[in-house]
Amino acid sequence: MSSRDDILKRVRAGVGKDDFARRKAVAEAYMAAHPRGPQPTLSNELATRFQAKAEYLSSTVEQIETMSDAPAAVARHLASLSLGVQAVATPDVAGLAWVAAGLDVSGRVAVDADKVGISGCFCAIAETGTLLLLSGPASPATVSLLPETHIALVPVSRIVATMEDAFALLRAERGSLPRAANFISGPSRTGDIEQTIVLGAHGPCRVHLIMVKG
Amino acid sequence: MGKLHSQAMFFQARAAEKVANPILQRALQKAKPLFVGKRAKGIGALADDRLEFEQLRSACVDIRNRVLSDLDVWLDIFESQAKATGAEVLWAKDGEEICELVIDVARRHGVTKAAKSKSMLSEEAHLNEALAAAGIQPVETDLGEYIVQLAGETPSHIIAPAVHKTLDEIADLFTKTHGRPRQTDIPAMTREAREVLRQHFLSAEMGISRCQFLIAETGSAALVTNEGNGRMVTTLPKVHVVITGIEKVVPTLEDFATLMRLLPRSATGQTISNYVSLLTGTRRPGDTEGPEKTVFILVDNGRAKLLGSAYQEMLRCIRCGACMNHCPVYFSLGGHAYGWVYPGPMGSVLTPLFTGLENALDLPHASTGCNQCGSVCPVRIPLPKLMHQLREDQVTGGMRPWSERFALKAWAWVAGKPALYHWVVRRAARYLKWLADDSGRIRVLGLAPGWTVGRDLPAPAGKTFQELYAARKRD
Ligand code: SF4
Repeated sequence: MSSRDDILKRVRAGVGKDDFARRKAVAEAYMAAHPRGPQPTLSNELATRFQAKAEYLSSTVEQIETMSDAPAAVARHLASLSLGVQAVATPDVAGLAWVAAGLDVSGRVAVDADKVGISGCFCAIAETGTLLLLSGPASPATVSLLPETHIALVPVSRIVATMEDAFALLRAERGSLPRAANFISGPSRTGDIEQTIVLGAHGPCRVHLIMVKG
Repeated sequence: MGKLHSQAMFFQARAAEKVANPILQRALQKAKPLFVGKRAKGIGALADDRLEFEQLRSACVDIRNRVLSDLDVWLDIFESQAKATGAEVLWAKDGEEICELVIDVARRHGVTKAAKSKSMLSEEAHLNEALAAAGIQPVETDLGEYIVQLAGETPSHIIAPAVHKTLDEIADLFTKTHGRPRQTDIPAMTREAREVLRQHFLSAEMGISRCQFLIAETGSAALVTNEGNGRMVTTLPKVHVVITGIEKVVPTLEDFATLMRLLPRSATGQTISNYVSLLTGTRRPGDTEGPEKTVFILVDNGRAKLLGSAYQEMLRCIRCGACMNHCPVYFSLGGHAYGWVYPGPMGSVLTPLFTGLENALDLPHASTGCNQCGSVCPVRIPLPKLMHQLREDQVTGGMRPWSERFALKAWAWVAGKPALYHWVVRRAARYLKWLADDSGRIRVLGLAPGWTVGRDLPAPAGKTFQELYAARKRD
């Protein structure tokens, strides 16, 4: 007997029920309904809540009026931290007018040498101050992972209340999950040496969020 | 027991040794208030959003019970969904089979180095040793696991594997391994480890991770980390292997979202962990990154037999670590005293169930009966009740005959007297023989893993651990 069959046989014995087809139909109906558990009541409006939570998680946040202001905002941020003018960006935001802002931005997957990564996001979650990034040819996951500094452009219109709302949006707009759906909440951190929190474990040490109002 | 390499039989002996270790005690005493305070803050903050802990707990219990009561169905759904996304789904009965499967996948893809994100199942399987023996270099990348690997030890906590290590010990390890000047500044040390491990992420051909949940609806693995190493090992290497227990399935993304409201809060007090990844299948058409091959290894190793048993509730466990973070016994002894992969109250239940009750006779007694563990468990596992049940099973199984109790009482008497204990430790092999009953059942007591030649340590008396613990507390 294969290990698969052997294990499943033991699982079936433990479960102790035989009407497999009926139980599977019940399970499928449950999945199709995807009921939600207890939901939070957020006291602030979404953008305010998102910003407060993101800042609490050690991200820095600024607001701009329209997407066309993004390159200048990124340039100002990089200059203020003396981070140079070079960056890798996800292809979905690489078409902004970066050159006019004095930046040298290439749209591609990130490599180890990249110091700054710029991405958009699929949506953002107010409850926890979290970004949801979906991997794909236009939005490679390495851009938000390998560089020490991650800058994300977050349209205010894409802020939803909860993770459940993000899943609903994902089902409506994409239908299925990409290879990697990454929920990102601030810079990477570790507490493994004497429970002392240090930012910048393996992923970015700095996360800067640019909220785009228009 | 050979296969499982459990040292759980020697809990009592190790307990005395751990209580007497001042470095360990310093590390533990520093950690405890942090763990407890953080969780309290995280759970307390639920009220800001008008969420109630008990209500969320009930929802989490329902989700886990729904899966366990029809686990055959949910595994079937998960398997077909995962395969539909292009992943391969393999099954392992035990630790040995985990190792065989991983090594086979590694050979098929020419893997020489595997970067690992923390995986307790790989500890169950002793996968690192097996990989090394097969000529594949395993590199732990969770900072705590990395420290433990450098020290040649095993994790002492499921969330904070190196909680037993002090700054000085870690500084020494880094100096020795990295060949750089000694640093004792924690951010600088973290930076140093980041630089060393980055090169491993980039060169490993295989990433090995656990996952917190398997999502049936989408065939995905949900992986939660703070450091980002989980994202690295599932993005950069060309092969990704997920090793996980068969009980980890949850039905839907919504169920996952519900569980995520309690998992990080219970573990570290965080509202959410820094990185939560849902990994589904392999590199898609047009993708220029991500693994070309994704393999799930679904592991039984003692889990299936708990279904329908008096211990089924233990399978609800989501490995948050809250029970050990609130356990006075854990914080007196540290995780290594428990002798196997899972420490604290959940380990005291799981270890005897997974490795055999007769191999972990002391563990169900490692309790003060305070029920702190039961009151913080996000999936409401009645840990003290299950430990009590295990003690009863020992009695009905005839595992605690009088002669053995007598021998162990004698041992406890020695262990409770530090000066005598240390004298005995130094002469253990020769002098402990007098403790044995006339069948000579105690051959060598397990004072340290290397010393433990025999495995015939008899059962301890019911109260001895508690007496020992209480005596230490009075000191
Ligand atoms: S038994 Fe409960 S508290 Fe302990 S690790 Fe499991 S889920 Fe967490």
